[in-house]
Amino acid sequence: MEAAVLDELLGGSAREREESWRYSKNAIRALTQQTFTLATPDAALSAATLERIDLPFTRGRRIVIVNGAYSERYSDTGKLGSGVRVERTSAQHLNVSIAAATDGPLHLAYVSVPADTASRWQAVGEIQLHGARARLIEQHVGEAGADVFGTLTTKMSLAPQTVLNAVLFSDLPDSVSLLRKSLCTVGAAANYEVTHAHGGGRLQRIESQIDLAETNAHCHCRGVFALRGREHVDIHLDVQHNARDTRSEVFWRGVADQRARGVFHGAITVAVGADGADAQLSNKNLLLSPHAEIDTQPVLEIYADEVKASHGATVGQLDERVMFYLRSRGITAPAARNMLIAAFCREVFDGVADAGLREYLDARLMERLPAAVEDVA
Amino acid sequence: MLKIDNLHVRVAGKEILKGLSLSVNAGEVHAIMGPNGAGKSTLGNILAGREGYEVTQGTVEFEGRNLLELEPEQRAAEGVFLAFQYPVEIPGVNNTYFLKAALNAQRKYRGEPELDSMQFLKSVREKLRVLHISDELLHRAVNAGFSGGEKKRNEIFQMALLEPRLAVLDETDSGLDIDAMKLVADGVNAMRDPKRAFVVITHYQRLLDYIVPDFVHVMVDGRIVESGDKVLALKLEEHGYAWVAGRHEPNQIRAGAA
Repeated sequence: MEAAVLDELLGGSAREREESWRYSKNAIRALTQQTFTLATPDAALSAATLERIDLPFTRGRRIVIVNGAYSERYSDTGKLGSGVRVERTSAQHLNVSIAAATDGPLHLAYVSVPADTASRWQAVGEIQLHGARARLIEQHVGEAGADVFGTLTTKMSLAPQTVLNAVLFSDLPDSVSLLRKSLCTVGAAANYEVTHAHGGGRLQRIESQIDLAETNAHCHCRGVFALRGREHVDIHLDVQHNARDTRSEVFWRGVADQRARGVFHGAITVAVGADGADAQLSNKNLLLSPHAEIDTQPVLEIYADEVKASHGATVGQLDERVMFYLRSRGITAPAARNMLIAAFCREVFDGVADAGLREYLDARLMERLPAAVEDVA
Repeated sequence: MLKIDNLHVRVAGKEILKGLSLSVNAGEVHAIMGPNGAGKSTLGNILAGREGYEVTQGTVEFEGRNLLELEPEQRAAEGVFLAFQYPVEIPGVNNTYFLKAALNAQRKYRGEPELDSMQFLKSVREKLRVLHISDELLHRAVNAGFSGGEKKRNEIFQMALLEPRLAVLDETDSGLDIDAMKLVADGVNAMRDPKRAFVVITHYQRLLDYIVPDFVHVMVDGRIVESGDKVLALKLEEHGYAWVAGRHEPNQIRAGAA
C-alpha cells in the first residue's frame, strides 16, 4: 500500500503510531505490505448476506453500504419518515441527519464484498442528532473470498438534551479487515449509549473517540468481543471529559480462544476545568486457550481537581470451582463452558433497548462461542 | 449401592484419606461425623469427582461400577449428588435455565426423553411447594447474592429436582439457624425412599435430631474409627471427639460400615 494512503489511514506521527499499534503491529504490517485495488462499489450481494442484513425490526429503515458506497438497490428506506434526512455528498460520503424520533432503530449495514484479487474501500459517515431520542444499528458483515480492507471514518454529534442508543456489531469472514475510526461529540445533557459486539475478521481495529464536550454530557459504552481461530480485534477507546459534571461508564468484556488476539485500550482523560466529572471503566477478559492472548490497557489521565474516577481490568480463566459445580449436576464440560462464557458476555447486552435486537445479538454471540453448542435447555 | 474399600487419597501431595471403608445400601441414611481435618469433605469431593484428588489405593464402587473412572457429569447422571458445603455463585446463569440444563443433560445420558418447559416447570413447582421455597429463587442467577441459608436450601432443592440415588450432604447444616436447618431436614426426610441412600456429613450432632440416621460413623485422621447407630452420635455430643480418638490408637483399627 502506498505510504500516503497509509499515513491517512493510520494517522498520527510515527512515534504515536508505534505506541498506538503496538499490540497489532504484525497484523497491520502484513496488511500494509499487500497490494489492494479499489473495491467495486455496486457489487451484488449473495442471498445469505441479504438474509443477514434483513433484521425484521429495521425494515424500511435500512441503509446499505456496499464496499463503502451507498447502495440504492439494497437500501430499504420507505419508513424513515420526515425526521430523518440522508444525503450523499459523494458516493462514499454519507450524511445522516436525525431531527425526530423514528418508530424503530435506523440501520446502517456495511457489507464487504470481495473482488477477484485483494481490494479495499474507504467511506465516511456523518450522523447528526438534533433534538430527538434515536436508535441506531451499525452492522458490519462480509462475504468470504479474496481479501477486503475497509476503512470507515464516522463523525457523530449529539445536540444538547438528545439521546442516542446505538448498537455496533461486526461478524466478518477471516478475509475481511476493518479499520473503523469514530468521533462522537456529546452536547450538554445529551446521552450517548453505545453497545459494541465484535467478532470475526482478519484484523478489526475499532477506534472510538468520545468527546463529552458540554456540561452534563454522558456516555455509557458497553462492549464485548468473542474471538477464535486467528481473529484479531483491537479496541481503542478514548473518552474525553471536556466539560463540568460529565459522566462516562465504560464496561467491556473480552473472550479469546484458540490463537485469537484481543486488545483493549481504554483511555479516559479529564481535562483541566472539567470538575465534577465521574468516570468509571471496567474491563474483564477470559482467556480460553494457552495460545490466545488479550492485552488490556486502561489509561486514566486527570487534570481536574474534583473528579470521581475508577478503573479496573482483569484477564482470567474460567473458574474451575464453578465448572465442577455445573458438571457435578450433570452438565457436560463443553456445555458448562459455554454456559459460563455466555453469562460472562451477556451482561454487556443489558444496554440494548430493543428486546428483539438483544436476542439477535445473543444468538449471534452463541454461534460464535468456541465449542459446538449443545442444546442444553 | 456404594462400596468404598480401603481408600487412600492424596491432595496436593498430602495423604488425607488413609484406608477408608464404607458400605451403603439403598434406603439407608449414614451419618459421617468427625473433627475438622478428618477428611470428611474430601470424601464428598472424591465421590463427586472433583479434580486434584489422587487415589493412591483402594476402590469405590457405585451400583457395581467403578465410580472413580467416571467424569463428574457421568456420576451425576448415574445418580450421585453432592450438596456442596460452599455452593458457588454463578452470576449471569439463571437458576431455571441451569436446572433445566442439568436435568435434561442427565436424562439424555440415561437415554430418557428430555422434558419440555411445561413438564419441567410442573416438576419444579411441586418440589418448591414441598420445600417451602419461593419461586422467586427461580428467576435469580444461581446462588448469586443468596444468603448462606438460601444457598443450602437451593442445594436441597436441586437434589429434590434431580432425584439422585445417592445424595452426599457435605456439612449442609453449617451456618444454618435452627429454622433453616429444620427446613433442610424436612427436605431430606421427604426424599427418604427405599431406593435412595444418603450420606450426611456433619460436624455436629444437632442435625441428626432431625435427620435420624440408620448408621453413624466417626471419622478421625482419614478413616472411620467407630461405627454404630444414632446413640453413637449422642455419646459423641456428650464426650467430644477426643473420647473416640482416645479409645482408638491410630493404625490399630480398620472399621468398616455396620
